[in-house]
Amino acid sequence: MERKFSSDPVRLELVKNGIGSVVDEMVLTVVRIAYSSIMKDTMDMSSAFCDRHGRMIAQGLSLPLHLGSIPDAMDAVRAEYGDTLAPGDVVVFNDPYQGGMHLPDIFMFKPVFVGEHLLGYAVLVAHHNDMGGRVPGSSAADSTEIFQEGLQIPVLKLYERGVPCDTLFKLIARNVRVPDTVIGDLHAQEAACRIGERGLCELAARYGVETLEQCFDELLNYSEHAARRTISAIPDGSYTCTDHLDDDGITPNQPVTVKVTLHVKGDELDVDLTGSSPQVRGAINSTLSFAKSAVYFAIRAIMSSDAPNNAGFMRPIHVHAPVGTLFNPRRPAAVAARGISGFRLIDAMFGALAQAVPLKPRAAGEGGTTSYSIGGRDTEGRYVLFREALMGAWGGGFEREGIDGVANPAANIGNAPIEMVESQAPIRVEQYEFATDSGGAGKWRGGMSVVRQLRFLGEEATFQLRSDRRQHPPYGLAGGLPGAASNNLIEDNEDNNGWRQLPTKFTTRLKQGQAFRHTTAGAGGFGDPRERDPQQVLADVRDGKVSINAARRDYAVCVLASPWRIDQAATAQLRNDGSTVKYDHGKR
Amino acid sequence: MRVGIDIGGTFTDLVFLCSDGTLHKRKVPSTPADYAEAIIHGVKAFCTEQAMPVSEIAEIVHATTVATNAILERKGARVALLTTEGFRDVLELRRIRIPMSYDLDWQKPVPLVAREFRFGVRERIAANGATLTPLDAASLEPVFQQWAASDIEAVAVCFLHAYRNPQHEIAVGQLLKRRFPALRVSLSHEVLPEMLEYERTSTTVVNAYVAPLIATYLDRLREGLGRCGVAAPILVMQSNGGLISAGLAAERPVTIIESGPAAGVVAAAQIAQASGHGNVITLDMGGTTAKASIIEHGDVLRASEYEVGGAVSVSSRLMRGNGYALRIPVIDVSEVGAGGGSLATVDTGGSLRVGPRSAGSVPGPACYGRGNEWPTVTDANLVLGYLNEDSLAGGALGIRRDLAENAITQHISGTTRLSLHEAAYGIHQVANSNLVRAIKSVSVERGRDPAEFALMAFGGAGPIHAAAVALELGVRTVLIPPAPGVFSAYGLLRAEVEQHASRTVLTSTAATDLTAIATAYREMQTELIVRLEREGYPASRVTIRYFADLRYRGQSSEITVPMDATEINTDALRLVEARFETEFERSYGHRGPNKDFELVTCRMIATVIRDSWQDARWTTDHAAAASRQQRDVYFGRQHGLLPTPVVTREALAGRAHQGPLIVQEYDTSVVVPPHCTAALDDHVNIVLNIGTA
Repeated sequence: MERKFSSDPVRLELVKNGIGSVVDEMVLTVVRIAYSSIMKDTMDMSSAFCDRHGRMIAQGLSLPLHLGSIPDAMDAVRAEYGDTLAPGDVVVFNDPYQGGMHLPDIFMFKPVFVGEHLLGYAVLVAHHNDMGGRVPGSSAADSTEIFQEGLQIPVLKLYERGVPCDTLFKLIARNVRVPDTVIGDLHAQEAACRIGERGLCELAARYGVETLEQCFDELLNYSEHAARRTISAIPDGSYTCTDHLDDDGITPNQPVTVKVTLHVKGDELDVDLTGSSPQVRGAINSTLSFAKSAVYFAIRAIMSSDAPNNAGFMRPIHVHAPVGTLFNPRRPAAVAARGISGFRLIDAMFGALAQAVPLKPRAAGEGGTTSYSIGGRDTEGRYVLFREALMGAWGGGFEREGIDGVANPAANIGNAPIEMVESQAPIRVEQYEFATDSGGAGKWRGGMSVVRQLRFLGEEATFQLRSDRRQHPPYGLAGGLPGAASNNLIEDNEDNNGWRQLPTKFTTRLKQGQAFRHTTAGAGGFGDPRERDPQQVLADVRDGKVSINAARRDYAVCVLASPWRIDQAATAQLRNDGSTVKYDHGKR
Repeated sequence: MRVGIDIGGTFTDLVFLCSDGTLHKRKVPSTPADYAEAIIHGVKAFCTEQAMPVSEIAEIVHATTVATNAILERKGARVALLTTEGFRDVLELRRIRIPMSYDLDWQKPVPLVAREFRFGVRERIAANGATLTPLDAASLEPVFQQWAASDIEAVAVCFLHAYRNPQHEIAVGQLLKRRFPALRVSLSHEVLPEMLEYERTSTTVVNAYVAPLIATYLDRLREGLGRCGVAAPILVMQSNGGLISAGLAAERPVTIIESGPAAGVVAAAQIAQASGHGNVITLDMGGTTAKASIIEHGDVLRASEYEVGGAVSVSSRLMRGNGYALRIPVIDVSEVGAGGGSLATVDTGGSLRVGPRSAGSVPGPACYGRGNEWPTVTDANLVLGYLNEDSLAGGALGIRRDLAENAITQHISGTTRLSLHEAAYGIHQVANSNLVRAIKSVSVERGRDPAEFALMAFGGAGPIHAAAVALELGVRTVLIPPAPGVFSAYGLLRAEVEQHASRTVLTSTAATDLTAIATAYREMQTELIVRLEREGYPASRVTIRYFADLRYRGQSSEITVPMDATEINTDALRLVEARFETEFERSYGHRGPNKDFELVTCRMIATVIRDSWQDARWTTDHAAAASRQQRDVYFGRQHGLLPTPVVTREALAGRAHQGPLIVQEYDTSVVVPPHCTAALDDHVNIVLNIGTA
C-alpha cells in the first residue's frame, strides 16, 4: 500500500458501488426500451456521470471504445452553455468537430440538480440507426465530406426546462430514413438520463452533496493512481509500432499508415501518433477524441486493477496527433467509418506495448467489426433498413489460447439472431460458421475467421459494408503466425466460379435473390507453433479447426485419421528437422 | 407425512411435515459422492428417532443441485449435436458478447459439445415454416457411422425455425430411435418451441448434457428409498417454482436446474400473502452467494432466460456470457457473490472490497479454524456480536472468535487504521451494499421501488443483514419466517404441481386471422392436460392460465402479460395490448409512439389443485436456549458497543420489542438494530419495523 485516497475506505466503496449501479441502470434502460436493434441487441452506447466541473466520475457497462469520448463531448457542452443550464434541460449534439465521434452517435446530457446546486451531468451517447445522408445507416466508408454523411447537430437543447423542442425533433425526424425508430430511440436515451438524474439525487440525499463531491475527488485520485501504477510497471523508453489499414474506402489497395510511438517516463505516458497518414479522402478519418478512446482502451486492458473508468485514469496519459492527419482531421473530412481506424490504432498500441511488456497483450484480433447495412424494399414495397456487425476472434497470448467466435474487446456487441433476422428482414442467412485453418498458428493459436453468407430476398437494396484486414492480416506475436485475411464475395453468375470479389469497403446494389459472403479475418497466434502441445493440435484437427495439412506445415505435427492419433515418430522428426520452415521470431 | 429435501454443498436440509401438523427440521452432512445417501440416511434416522414406520411417508419433495454441479464440474454426458447445414458453430459462436470489459485474460466457456461432435444436416425450413430444402436423411449416414465407433451418450437436435415447423426434427428423432435405441435424444422443438437459434440450441444441449446423469440419480434415489421401505412418489422442484414428478424431471431435466433457489421463493410468496404482504422482496443469503427475487401481488416474477454454470461476479443482467444460456421459465433471481464466506480485502486504491472471492464452506471463514486466515463476512458478523460466540448450526459447528479477530486485525485494520470493530462493521456494510445491488437488479431495473415492498430474509446469513439492507433501500418492514436456515426445504412442501408450455407464433396482434394463436393455445392445453393425466392428475383438478409475450413491433425483447381468455378473440387481444402498455410504461416511464404490437410467444401454465395448506406448527427450538442471555454488540460508530439482550423467537410473542436485540435460532441469528422493533405475527414470522437510524 503506497497511498490512500480516502479518509473512509468503506464510504468510498459504498459511493463507488452506488454511482456504478446508477450508470449501469442507464444503459439497461435504453436496452429495454429502444427500438433499433443497434441499441437493443448490439448495445452500441455508453452512459456516464460527470461532476459539475465536467470531470467524468463513472462510466457504465457499455462500449469500451467510447471510453475517452465523453470528456471531450462534455467540454463542448460546457463551452456552449457554461453555467446557464437549468433543471429539466436536455442537451444533444452529434458534431464530430465539436467533440463528437461520427454523426450516428448522438450525445445527450442532462444536468443533475440537487435543489439549486448543480451536482453534475447524466450522459448517454448512443448510435442511431440512421442520421440521413447519402447512404442508409449513415456510416458509409466512401463518403468524402461530412456533408454527405447526414444531419449535423451542433450543441443544442432538445428539452428546455422539461419542454421538448419541437423544432429540433421535427428537423431530425424529417432528415432521417426511419424517423419512428430514431425518435423512439431518442426518447429511450432521454429516459435513461432521467433514471441517471434520479439515481444521483438519491445518492446526494443519502450522503449529502458535500460528502458526495469529496468522494468524486477520491474516486478520480483512486483511478489516477491505478493508471500510474500500470504505467510505472512499463520499462521507461520509447516503443514504436506501425500497422496498416488496407485502404481509405475510396481507392483500393492504397494502404493507410497507423503509427504509434509510446514514450514512457516514470508514471507518465506520452502517446504520439505522428507518422500516421495525413487525413484521407474516404470516411475513415478519426476525430482526436476517438483516437484518445482507443489509446485509453489499450492501457485500460493491460491494467490489472478494476478501478472505475473515470477521468482520473486519463490524467497521466497524453495523446498527440498533428492536425490534418488521420487521427486529427480538419472539417469537412468525412468520419463516418472512423471505427476501423480506432480498431487499428488499438492493434498498433498493443503491438507497441508487446515490445515493452511482452506477456501482457495478445496477438492481434480480427481487426474490428465488419459492419454493414442493407437498405431497400421488401417484396411488399415496405422500406427495410437492416444493419449488422460481424466478429470476431481474439489472438493468442502468453499462456492464453486465442478465442474463437467472440466480440472485439473494444466493441463488446452481440450478433443478430438468425431466426430474428429472417423474420424481420427480407434476408436469408445461409451460413454462419468458422473457417478451417484461419486462426494464426502459434504455441497459443489465434481465434478463427467467421463466415456469414446471406441472400437478399427483397426487390433491390443499397448495400454498404466496411471491413479491413485483407492485405494486412492480424499480426502474430513472439513467433506466432498472422491470422487469415478477410474477404468479401458477391454472387455473380457472369463470373467463372459464380462469385466476384468486392473491395474491403464498398457501397453497391443488391439484386433480388443475390447472395453475399463475408469472411472475417482470423486472429494472430502467440509463440512458435512448433512448440504447441501436439495433443492440442490433434484436438484442433479433430474439431476441423485445423486441417491435417496445416498441422504438418504450421505446427510440424503429423496427425493420422481413423482412429485419430499422432504419429509420434514422424512428429519428432518434423520438429527436429532443419529442412522445414523456421520462423523468424523477430518479424511479424 | 411429507418430506421436503434440499441438497446444499455442505448440508442436506430435511423438513418433515407430520400428519399431526407438526414440522421438524434436520440438517445432515451432504454426501457428494452419492447425494442420495444423505437423504436416505436422514429419512431413516428421523423415522427411527420418532418411532414412526417409514411407510407413513406419503410424498417426497426434492430440490437438487445435481444438474448444476454437473455443468459446473463439466461432468455431464458425451453429447452429439445435429444442426442445419451451414450452422455447425451456432452453439460455440453464442451471442459473442463478453461478460467483462478490459479483461484480456478472459476465457470463453468451453462448449458442452466439441466441434468434432457437431454436424450440419442438409435440410432447411424458412421463417414462415415452408420447407426450402427437404431433409436429406442420407447425409446422416457418415455421422451415424462415426457414432457407432464412439461413446456418444446423448444427442441434441436443433434445426433452424423448428419452433415453426418441427417436421425435420421429428423425422430425425424417429431415425435416431431406430438406429440408436439406447441414446437419449433431445429435440429442440420439444425442449423449447421458441424462436432464437442460439438460445434454443444451448437449452437443448444442456438438456441432453444432464439427462443421463439426472435419470441415474433419480433412479438411485427411488431404489434407495424403496430398499428401506419408502414407496412414496418423488416430486422434483423446477426452476419455475412448480413441482413435477421424478419421471418427467428425468425427461426434461433442463427444467429443474435452479430447483433449490426456486423453492425458497415459492414459500416466501405463500407466507407473504398469508401474513398480509402482497409485495415482497426476498433475500436468500447463504455461504457463497446471495439471491434476491421479487413477489408482486402474491405472484413470483419469472424471467424467460438465464445462464447456468457461470461464476457469479456482478448481478447486472448486462453481464452475460460466462455460463450456458437457458431459455426456460425461471423464477427471476438475481445473484451476487456476497455470502457468509465472501472474503474481505483492501485493494491497492485503499477501498474495502467484499467478494466475489469466497472461502466457501471449505476451508470456510477464518473462525472455522480450517486453514483460511483471511477475514470473511461471517468473521465480521462474529466480531460484531451478531453470531453466537462459540458455535453455529445449533452447536453442530464449533467456531473461534479469536481467529476472526486476528484475521480482521491483520488484513483490514492494519492497512486502513480502522479499529477492530470499525473494520468489521465496514465489511458488514460493504457486504450490505452488494446485497443492495442484487435487490436493485430485480426491482429498480424493472421499474419497481423497493420502498413499496417488504423484505423477507432467509438463508443462514439473510436475517443477520436484513435490517441494515432494508434501511438502505427505504424498506419499512422486514419479515423473518420460521426456520430461515432450512427455508428451501420447507418451501418444497408448499409448492404446487405445475407444468409450463410455450409456442412462438410471432404475429401482429392486429392480424385478422387468429387461427395460429388459437391453435397454439389449444395444442398447449392438450399437451399439458395429457402430460398431467399421465402423472395421475385428472383434468378436473387442473387450472390453466394463459399468458402472452408482447412487444412493440421492431423491438426485440418482450414482456409477458396474463391473458384471461378461454376464447381467443379481438377483445382478448385488445386487453393484453392494454396490459402490455401499462407494464411497459411502468417499467420504462413512457409508452411507444405507435400502437403496432407483436405477439411473439404464447405461454400456458397448468397447476394441479391440491389440498390446501394447513398452517403447520414448528416444533420448538431448544438449541438456542443454552446461549448467553446478553452480549456486547456493535452497531456502528454512532452507537458503539451496546449491551444487547439475546432472546429466542418465542420470547418476542405478545408485543413489539425495541432493539437492540439478537434473536438466536438453531440455524441463524436475527439482528435487530437499535432503530428497529421486533414482534411476532400470527404465523410465527418475526416482523421488524425499521425506524430511522
